[in-house]
Amino acid sequence: MENAALVGLSRQIALARQIDVVANNIANLNTGGFKAAGSLFAEHLGAMAREADVPGAGSRISFVNDRGIWHDLAQGAIQQTGNPLDIAIDGNAFLVVQTPNGERYSRNGALQINASGQLVTSQGMTVMGENGPIVFQPNDRNISVTADGRISVLEGANNKTESFRGKLRLVSFAAAQRLRKEEGSTFSAPAGVQAQPEPTARVVQGAIEKSNVNGVLEMTRMIELTRSYTQVATILQQQGELSRNAIQQLAEVPN
Amino acid sequence: MRALHTAATGMMAQELNVQVISNNIANMRTTGYKRQRAEFQDLLYEHVRRIGTQTSDQGNILPVGVDLGSGVKTVGTPRVMTQGTLLPTGKDFDVAIRGEGFFKIQLPDGTFAYTRDGSFEMDAQGRIVTAQGNVVQPGITLPPNASSISINQQGQVSVVVPGSTTPTILGQFSLARFINKAGLQPIGDSLFVETPASGSPQDGMPGTDGMGDLQQGNLEQANVEAVTEISDLIAAQRAYEMNAKVITATDQMLAATSNLMR
Repeated sequence: MENAALVGLSRQIALARQIDVVANNIANLNTGGFKAAGSLFAEHLGAMAREADVPGAGSRISFVNDRGIWHDLAQGAIQQTGNPLDIAIDGNAFLVVQTPNGERYSRNGALQINASGQLVTSQGMTVMGENGPIVFQPNDRNISVTADGRISVLEGANNKTESFRGKLRLVSFAAAQRLRKEEGSTFSAPAGVQAQPEPTARVVQGAIEKSNVNGVLEMTRMIELTRSYTQVATILQQQGELSRNAIQQLAEVPN
Repeated sequence: MRALHTAATGMMAQELNVQVISNNIANMRTTGYKRQRAEFQDLLYEHVRRIGTQTSDQGNILPVGVDLGSGVKTVGTPRVMTQGTLLPTGKDFDVAIRGEGFFKIQLPDGTFAYTRDGSFEMDAQGRIVTAQGNVVQPGITLPPNASSISINQQGQVSVVVPGSTTPTILGQFSLARFINKAGLQPIGDSLFVETPASGSPQDGMPGTDGMGDLQQGNLEQANVEAVTEISDLIAAQRAYEMNAKVITATDQMLAATSNLMR
C-alpha cells in the first residue's frame, strides 16, 4: 500500500537533485571553459509484489536511483577576444594547471602573467608547459601562441629576435567521463585515470572557449522536471487521500 | 533545495557582468581606456557519490559519480590591454603610444601613476601636464616664447626659440612597462597604480628595448568594440533571466511539496 508513496518519493528526490544540476549549468552559462553536466537515472528494483491475485502479480516494484552525473565534454563556442593571453582549445585536450592540491586540468584559457612572469590562470595557478612553468622575461613582447601550443615572444632591441618560451602541455584522457569536477573550472583525475599527451589538439590564440551549456536545452529540461515533480506530488496526494478514505470508511462504526 | 542558492549566485554573477559591460560602454569614447571583462568560474562541488568508490570485493568501482555544483563566482575583471586605434587630432600636445608602455605621471602626493591617455596640456609654468594638471615625467618645461613644438617617435620634445633656426631639445618622455600590465590597479581619471600583481615598473625610452613609440597629434581611443559589448550584454541579460526562471521552477516544486499536506 505504501509502495506508491515510496516510489514517488524516490522520483522526487532524484528530480530535486536533477534541478540542482540544471541550476548549476544555468548559473555557469557564461563561465569560460565550463562543461555542462547531466544526470543519469537507473532503475532500482525492490521486492516483488506478493499478493497473488492482484493484476501484475510477480512484477517487481522499481524505484528511481540517480546513479551518476555525466560530463558533456562537447566543444564550447569559441569567442574572439583579441587578447594575446586568451587561448581556446579546439579538440578534446585540457590545459594542465598546478594547484596546491596537485595537478588539475582545465579548459578555461583566460590566462594571465603574474608578477614573477609566469603564465597563470585567472586564479593565479601556474599553467604547465611541457618542461615546467612557462616564464616570460620583463621585456618580452608580441606573445604568440601557435596552433600546437608553442609560445614564443619577440625580445631584444631590434624587434627581430624571436625567443621560444615553452610549449603548453596539452593532455587528454581515455576515460574522460571519470574526471571529477572541482571548483574554478578545473577537473581532477581520480586514481587510475592517466593523462596522455594530446598532439592533435589545436590552440587558438586571442579567443576563449565559452561555456558549452545550451540555454534552450536546460530550460526545456527544467520545465520537464518541474512538471514531473508536480505530477508525482499529485500522485502522492491522491495516495494520501486513498489512505485517509480507507481509514475513515473502514473505521466507521455502524450505530 | 540548493538550486535556489545556485541560481542566486548565477543572478549575482550576471548582475556584475552587466555592470562591467555598462562601464565599458560608458567609456567607449574615453581616451586610453582599456576594456574589462568579467571572468567567472564554477564553485565548489559536493561529491555525493564519489567517482572510483569500490562497489564490490571484486574491485568493481563506480565509473560515474554524483557531483553537485553550487553555482558560479566571479574571479576577476581583468583588463584587455590591447592597442586602441589612433585618432589623429592635430593638437601638438596629444601624444599616443603605439605599442607597449605607459606614461608616468606624478600625483600631488608625490607618488606615481601610469596612463595611456596622452591628451596633455601646458600649465602656467610651461610644464607639460595631464588634463588634471599632474606633471608628466620626467617633467619637461617649455620656454614662454617657444614655437613649433615637436615630439618625435623617441619622445624627444623639441621647440624653436626666437633667434634660432635649429630646434632645441628640451627633454625626452620616458615610458614605464610592467610584466603583468593586467595586474595594474585603476584609480580613475584613466590612471593606474602598480600593485604586487603587476610587478614594479621598468622605465625606458620610447622606441627602444620593446617600448612603443610616440605619435604626436594622435590620441589612443578606447579599445571597446560596440558590437562585442552589445552581444555580451544580450548574453548576460538572457543568462540572468534564465537563472530567475530556475528560481521560479524551484519555487513551484517546493510549492507542490508543501501542498501535499492539507
